[in-house]
Amino acid sequence: MKNRIQELRKERRIRQEDLAEAVGVTRQTIISLENGKYNASLLLAHKIASYFGSTIEEIFLFEEEERV
Amino acid sequence: MIFNQILGNQPVDFKKKCQLRIWLAAGFVLLGLLSLLIVFLTHGEIPVLYLEEGHQDFTRGFFSGIGGGLIAAGLITIYKNYSYLKHADSRKKREIFETDERNRLLGLRSWAYAGYGMFLLLYLGIIACAFVSLTIMKTLLAVSAVFALLLLFFRVLLQKHM
Repeated sequence: MKNRIQELRKERRIRQEDLAEAVGVTRQTIISLENGKYNASLLLAHKIASYFGSTIEEIFLFEEEERV
Repeated sequence: MIFNQILGNQPVDFKKKCQLRIWLAAGFVLLGLLSLLIVFLTHGEIPVLYLEEGHQDFTRGFFSGIGGGLIAAGLITIYKNYSYLKHADSRKKREIFETDERNRLLGLRSWAYAGYGMFLLLYLGIIACAFVSLTIMKTLLAVSAVFALLLLFFRVLLQKHM
């Protein structure tokens, strides 16, 4: 699953540390999310979406085969 | 209560976790002291019911080492958790580290792969020991049986909570 976390974070000039602290995870988790090595849980996805004032679908981009 | 929260994967108050760890660590210290007490009371000659011929008795060193290790680990755990209770900043950092979902997944997967590896090694050990020592083979069989029972027990227990 791809995501727009890095794009949105850079757009708003937010550091990885600050985003990590705001959503209650470590910086390593944000790095793994941005690199696509780790998929966020529903709860974390919701927290990240709320932090950016957006929806989960706008940040986490489902591939065609991941859709029902 | 706290065990239900842990089993049900519910968030647990970190302060309560630290307090529980302090008590558990105190238990480790007591176990360590008990080990050292056994060495002291038996003057280092711990009676072994079944000692194979030619086998060197290493229980004195083993009990002393385990005792010392448990006391050290217990004291370090008490110090660390007491420090988390006292200092809000370090507590917050530690809480984030421990509740971080990726870290938790890494921990769970590490345990799972270690378990698969252990089971495979036990199986190979049992086969190899059939040619070496039936006593060791029976011991390994007992260990693997306990391992399988524990796996089943936790699966049933967790199914009730999740």
